[in-house]
Amino acid sequence: MRRGIDRAFAAATGICAAAVCALLLGIAGSIVWRGLSVLDWRFVSRLAAGAGASGGVLYEILGTLILVATALLVSAPLATGVALVQAVYLETRPRARRWLFVALYAANSVPSVLLGIAGLIVFSRWLGWGKSWLAGGILLGLMILPTVSVALIERLRSLPRRYLEAASGLGLTRSQVIWSVLLPQSLGGLVSGLLLGLARASGETAPILFAAAVFSGAGLPAGIRDSPVVALPYHIFVLAQDSLDPTVQDHLWGAAAVLLALVFALSLLALPVRLRIHEEAKSA
Amino acid sequence: MLDRLSPEALETEPAAAVLEARGLSVATGRRPLLRSIDLRIEPRRVLGILGPSGAGKTTLLRCLNRLVDLTPQLAVSGEILLHGRSIRGREVDADALRTRVGMLFQQPVVFPGSIADNVLFGVRHTGRPPRREWPERIERALGEAALWEEVRHRLREPAASLSAGQQQRLCLARTLAGEPEILLLDEPTSALDAGSTAAIEELILRLRERHAIVLVTHGLRQARRVADSIVYLAVRDGAGEVIESGLCQDLFSRPRSPELARYLSREPA
Repeated sequence: MRRGIDRAFAAATGICAAAVCALLLGIAGSIVWRGLSVLDWRFVSRLAAGAGASGGVLYEILGTLILVATALLVSAPLATGVALVQAVYLETRPRARRWLFVALYAANSVPSVLLGIAGLIVFSRWLGWGKSWLAGGILLGLMILPTVSVALIERLRSLPRRYLEAASGLGLTRSQVIWSVLLPQSLGGLVSGLLLGLARASGETAPILFAAAVFSGAGLPAGIRDSPVVALPYHIFVLAQDSLDPTVQDHLWGAAAVLLALVFALSLLALPVRLRIHEEAKSA
Repeated sequence: MLDRLSPEALETEPAAAVLEARGLSVATGRRPLLRSIDLRIEPRRVLGILGPSGAGKTTLLRCLNRLVDLTPQLAVSGEILLHGRSIRGREVDADALRTRVGMLFQQPVVFPGSIADNVLFGVRHTGRPPRREWPERIERALGEAALWEEVRHRLREPAASLSAGQQQRLCLARTLAGEPEILLLDEPTSALDAGSTAAIEELILRLRERHAIVLVTHGLRQARRVADSIVYLAVRDGAGEVIESGLCQDLFSRPRSPELARYLSREPA
């Protein structure tokens, strides 16, 4: 009886895992399959033409990379600061620590469209930037901040206390312990958090809808004010509204496949760093 | 093995205490961990701290270099004096204090990086000595820790590639590189095999020529081999107290308290 329950439980968990994998492969396969007719070198190296019905998605790729890179540059230092305050400086104040954690989860659940509206008010109107790539990058950075922070906090918490004590026992100040022990050893958490955030940021449309992205007519940004970008998620969003046209539909799926490949490629780029960190952690 | 000073010599040559605890108590919330501890650490002597598990030996050791500050739940009262001056005041730089009162932990803790990086880990941050003296400092510290000959040709190799005994000696070298005046050793051989234990004990006796040493140990034989004097802690009314203290030979041959007599009877010293 007990073995039967054990096997049934194992089978149920296996089915759940297989269902998730099948769903993921199904979506990815379906996107690539439908976009296959337009996917070639010319599609990724040419500019869009005919309102997205012809040409390629070069500027959309570059625009997405600009937004994602800016988001990473914004979120990495902020998340590091938040994580250090939570895990180190508030160590003696458990109540404040708990509140900060609750605030992070609350921030993570803010609908992204609200972030887009806030960006419209703050960056476009108050600061007078109009539509700007920088506003989009900052908004995406703020959007992924809780994800990156929580990943880093979890990593900092899981560090063996003996490292902290050994470094403090040598006379290092708290900031020296942070720089020489805590941050190097928690780099894995930061990279993992950034990868999770990156995957989310590169596919988000709502935060860049009002303050950063346009469908056409934008090249590479030359400044900050009135310097919008074209980006893959927004491109896909607009094309999807016109998807009854079969030519547009091919380009829509092609752009979606490129976005998928972009996220995958960026994750792969970070793989050597993650492997090195993992090896160092294992050998320590 | 180096000769130790005879008990007679110790009695006739009283030295000023380098480090002293007076009425030291530690509590977590309402629960006392240590109660009214008095002890003296003299220069070029090894003070052994013996006692059963849970008597607060490690907590006591961590009070002596204020590493206990890292555990905010612990409340410390009483006095700790370094060369007669209190180290417990807010004005005392606890980080600077820890460079003078170095510590070796129960488990070797090597940081990711090379053997040389590990030796320099502390001095690199405290700025002593200047960079041009680092190679010489590495050689000296590893030499004092009896590791130089074993690792001199692989200083750039990962520290994690060393055996447990070598890692513990590397940790000792890292502590010695900061030139501490006092060494606090928290059961430094508990995770080591017999050969590595003998090497560390040999080192303790050699280091005693220049340092005051406090050694927490469970091994009666080890205490007898390396300690000049002993403080025996045991739990009374829920907190660790000094039950007996004195010269090593006296305590081992004529224990006055039944607790120590019982403790000594568990393992022939």
